[in-house]
Amino acid sequence: MEIAISIILGCCALGAGFAMIAGIGPGIGEGNAVAKACEAIGRQPECKGDVTTTMLMGCAIAETTGLYALVIAILLLFVTPGMFIDILINTIG
Amino acid sequence: MIKADSAVKRETKYIAYSCAILSVLMQAVFVILKRWDYTVILGNLLSFAIAVLNFYFMGITVQKAVSMEVNDAKKLMKSSQTLRNIGVFIGIVIGVVAPCFNTVAVIIPVFFPRIAVSFRPLIKDQKEVIDK
Repeated sequence: MEIAISIILGCCALGAGFAMIAGIGPGIGEGNAVAKACEAIGRQPECKGDVTTTMLMGCAIAETTGLYALVIAILLLFVTPGMFIDILINTIG
Repeated sequence: MIKADSAVKRETKYIAYSCAILSVLMQAVFVILKRWDYTVILGNLLSFAIAVLNFYFMGITVQKAVSMEVNDAKKLMKSSQTLRNIGVFIGIVIGVVAPCFNTVAVIIPVFFPRIAVSFRPLIKDQKEVIDK
């Protein structure tokens, strides 16, 4: 029983870690997008307001991917182990 | 303390209003499903604050980054994203672990800004049609 619970906890922690790999992407993506925005503003400084607004919306969309991963990781760490352990206890008794 | 640009303020206001409307809809769904209690409101408030503050800090960072050198801007955005993610993580963990917050009501509103951004072009088009 203890081994089974340990395996469940370990797998959940591993899953959370793997889920957070998706959190790397938005950081790189946002960085690249802002770099291009800097170049665009350097070429046309009068477009700064428009570029900032578009950037904000783009960053919000890019950010969501990281948030999905974050939420999955949190659920795997704090909610799923309890559910699986309950199922195990009910099944084995 | 950096002063927020008018574009950042305008977009944050839009996101806050949209999140508020979507939160009301979510509360209505909870009422219809007969799962509504005070934990839903508390969870919704916590998550609303997380979503709006996350967007506002992102706006401030973008505003700061567009006036920097390309490589510095990249580094700033990456570090800001990491810090904001840590903040969101702490907020959601508090919401999930503390019994006074409903877990579902904490998690769903974090994605409201994404939904609000999806509807943004439609609202902009409507405004342009009205202006014309």
